[in-house]
Amino acid sequence: MKRILRRSTLILLFTIAFIVGIGFFTVELVMGADDWANQPYNAHISGSGGLEQAGAIYDRYGTVLAQTVDGNRVYNDDITIRKSLLHAVGDNSLNISTAVQSKYRSQLTGYNLVWGLNMPQSLRTSHDITLTLDAETCAAAYNVLASYGKKGACVVYNYKTGEVICSVSTPGYDPADPPEINEENESEYDGVYLDNVVSSSYIPGSIFKIVTSAAAIENIPDLYDRTWECYGSEEIGGSDITCVESHGTINFQEAMAHSCNIVFAELAVELGAEKMTATAEKIGINASFTVDDVETAKGHYDVSKANTNQLAWSGVGQYNDAVNPMQMAIICGAIANGGKSVNPTYIKSGTGDLMKLIGLGKGESRDMFNSGTAAKLDEVMRYTITDYYGDNLFGGLSVCAKTGTGEVAEDKNPNAWMVGYSKDADCPLAFACVVEDSGFGFSYAGPVAEAAMIKASESLRSKG
Amino acid sequence: MYNYNNAKEVCEVFNFDVIFDIGVVGLRILLPIYAIVIVYQCYAAMRRRRRSEKPLVTLYNTRTFEKTPVVLWENSIGRGRANDITVDDPTVSRNHCVLLRRSDGWFVTDTNSTAGTYVNDERAEGRTQVLIDDVIRVGNTEFQFLRGEEYDERIRSSWFFKKVNNKPAIKAWKLMLMITLFHLFMSIEAMFWNDGTNVFSPLIMFCALAAVEWGFFSVSYFALRRVSFELEALALFLTGIGVILLVRQVEKSAYVQLIAAVAGMILFCIIIKLIENPDRIIKFRLPLMIIAVLLLLTSIVFGKVTKGAANWIYIGFISIQPSELVKVIYIVIGANALDVLQTKKNLIEFIIFSMICVGLLALMGDFGTALIFFVTFLLIAFMRSGDFKTIILAVVAAAIGVTFVLRFKPYVADRFKAWRHAWEYAQAEGYQQTHVLTFIASGGLFGVGVGNGFLKQVAASESDLVFGVVAEEMGVIVAVTIAVAVALLVVYARAITTRSRSTFYSISACCAAGLLVVQLSLNIFGATDILPLTGVTFPFISCGGSSILSCWGLLAFIKAADERTYSLKR
Repeated sequence: MKRILRRSTLILLFTIAFIVGIGFFTVELVMGADDWANQPYNAHISGSGGLEQAGAIYDRYGTVLAQTVDGNRVYNDDITIRKSLLHAVGDNSLNISTAVQSKYRSQLTGYNLVWGLNMPQSLRTSHDITLTLDAETCAAAYNVLASYGKKGACVVYNYKTGEVICSVSTPGYDPADPPEINEENESEYDGVYLDNVVSSSYIPGSIFKIVTSAAAIENIPDLYDRTWECYGSEEIGGSDITCVESHGTINFQEAMAHSCNIVFAELAVELGAEKMTATAEKIGINASFTVDDVETAKGHYDVSKANTNQLAWSGVGQYNDAVNPMQMAIICGAIANGGKSVNPTYIKSGTGDLMKLIGLGKGESRDMFNSGTAAKLDEVMRYTITDYYGDNLFGGLSVCAKTGTGEVAEDKNPNAWMVGYSKDADCPLAFACVVEDSGFGFSYAGPVAEAAMIKASESLRSKG
Repeated sequence: MYNYNNAKEVCEVFNFDVIFDIGVVGLRILLPIYAIVIVYQCYAAMRRRRRSEKPLVTLYNTRTFEKTPVVLWENSIGRGRANDITVDDPTVSRNHCVLLRRSDGWFVTDTNSTAGTYVNDERAEGRTQVLIDDVIRVGNTEFQFLRGEEYDERIRSSWFFKKVNNKPAIKAWKLMLMITLFHLFMSIEAMFWNDGTNVFSPLIMFCALAAVEWGFFSVSYFALRRVSFELEALALFLTGIGVILLVRQVEKSAYVQLIAAVAGMILFCIIIKLIENPDRIIKFRLPLMIIAVLLLLTSIVFGKVTKGAANWIYIGFISIQPSELVKVIYIVIGANALDVLQTKKNLIEFIIFSMICVGLLALMGDFGTALIFFVTFLLIAFMRSGDFKTIILAVVAAAIGVTFVLRFKPYVADRFKAWRHAWEYAQAEGYQQTHVLTFIASGGLFGVGVGNGFLKQVAASESDLVFGVVAEEMGVIVAVTIAVAVALLVVYARAITTRSRSTFYSISACCAAGLLVVQLSLNIFGATDILPLTGVTFPFISCGGSSILSCWGLLAFIKAADERTYSLKR
């Protein structure tokens, strides 16, 4: 019978394997519990009842954006503020997955692995969260952006601290009265759950000339001694590259200010696919940025299969180029910072151990430009405003910017873009605005950027 | 929530709510600790109240004057070191003979030795009775068969029974009281569930459950006069948890489950009675095999396809899963007494039977049960032969078989494509697993309270995903505790291996426990996406009449292996 005992060790091994498996499961549970619990179908947290125990959400000046009163989730009294902050704050559902109320729902409601999700309300510790956003700035930007009735986004952030002051995405809806989306109205609400600031990418048009400029400044020594001839159209690589107007003889700085396609198309071809790609990669066009646990949509620059004409178009932000609004704001912030980017964040502070629960890493910094390149880009982008658009545009802020008009398809109007930053020491703000299916960058994105920047600077100067 | 306008009212409402909520949370925290205590007490009691480690008889070597204590009921005698009694004599065969005890005395069986075995100079053919002072000759060695008292040195006991506190174990009725109280607490928790209707149905269920528990206890204690009840207590504890959870899932099934559990307890008693004489049951091997194959065939012919597997047959309004009952038969057929094992080393008969069983199950599409049978086959085959070659051969053959199946029926693999990728198929093949994970995480360590879960809305939650339900409603601690409680049956079955009345019991107990652990692993790890989801039940907890019946049936083998089972209370 001792033999039998010895042989039964095989069964014991199976049991040990089982215990090891339980251990493995425990490890998986500890690592994944937050993600596992935070699912839209989780009836413990989703639906109107899910936020019953959640803490309040404030903007940077203490304005209540969302809070629970008598077991109901209520949002700010002002409908514009509610709508403008929809994508940043979220609603009762978990549909907008990048919103604070979705991605940090378990932390807001006080979830942890020890107590699970059904602590009685009177014993729960919920957490309040303060965002870096300014509700008034968001509302101001939203008013202009929503007036077009198109898809769009506007983001303004402090390129020194990373604090996002304004983040607005259209189309939106009122979180206090979410629409029921059905077959009849689904076109009206197409993409409504997407925060275009972080989750969409668009054809950039002329704002991409910032990238081409960076490549030219770094690789062409006599760039500033050169002049180009623009007759409104030129054949490059077998097909025409067109320009908005005939600029005549033009130097590099003027070409940037007047956004001459011919110059940048020629520069892209001269630089070649390899150098253009190297610069785009360094700036992170094809990369994703992590903003509070959300990966931004990647931009796109790939000329590996492009012919000469397509390479030329890629230099002026056409061909298959794409960029994301948050990404462009980060790039502009990096230029203002002398080449180094600061990663944005929406979270200012939280009560209790909320910040620890969220566990945000330190915003990663990236070397996007050499300091010399950044200084020269700063110069041309400043010249664009002072020389071309006029310096009184942003209410006295010293703004450096670039507009863009990304041509899309035959049946659609172009994407209007405006990206840039202010140089003022008390308002170190970078911005990016985009309006889809609209028209000239300056005409459509310009007013949004202007409204957002003026309001943001006012708020910062008066309230800090 | 509170009306802050009226300070007095606020105070009252506040106090009541908080006191009530603290009570709810207190109960939730209490249950896991209580569950651990109960499981601990069950196993602690199993270690106690054992006969002292004294030899049953003594063999006196007339040549070397050595006294060898005989402590086991079945002893292999031979030259090989692995024998229970080793004889250092070149004329003795490696496995010479078996000395075994039965209710009617001691016997010796020659197991095809070269030199033969002699009792009082007469050659032993088959089982030959040995009486005190008889002389057993193996090869050139002669043993005089003496009483146990002739050996007076101390004998080491196995770790499981060593260092046991001298304090007597918890009295069986106290243990039962603890378990009943646990079920009462669960029922009270279940009264306040998220649906809100039928507030008192858990209490009614509890009364029925308590009646079954104490009824079974009384039968065992007074009618059958059993010495011990810990193993049954553990199984009742688990069965009760399953039943009360079920009240808040599918209330009608809870009663069916309880009735099936009672049937299981009856089966438990019947099996113990049937295998009282291990030599007799062996004679029924062939009929049992035929019954097993017929049962499986009926489910192929008459089976309804449920969840991709045709393993259910419907008789009127009763549905049974024949494969569950075949598990019990399979264990009986696998086990055997030591002298038989040593004489007939041939596994062919058992291998063919196993192949038919596994093949039929695979044909039904019940891959989970097929896998359970296959692993149990490996365990039994190894326990019987100790031969790694057979095991490796079987595994290789199975691997080739699986490759063939996947080659000619590639859609079979599709059923398992969500494995380890459940989140990518969250709306399709991974639906059940992701929901299990989400709700386990939502439950936390102490659970959301019995009846407050949402996993119960997912299909098969009461059977295949029951681990998730337990974890969600009662917390991960309880879920892991009851899983470990089942797994520890293997440790118990091993501990009593050498104290069983026959290797028939040792093998059947170890393999039954092993089968339960394999089934447990497939259930838990399938539901949590660590293994492919095959849809097998959690022993004793999952809803399923056939399943609970077979669990109690399998438990009978473990119970029978405990030598105290057949000794009456004094």
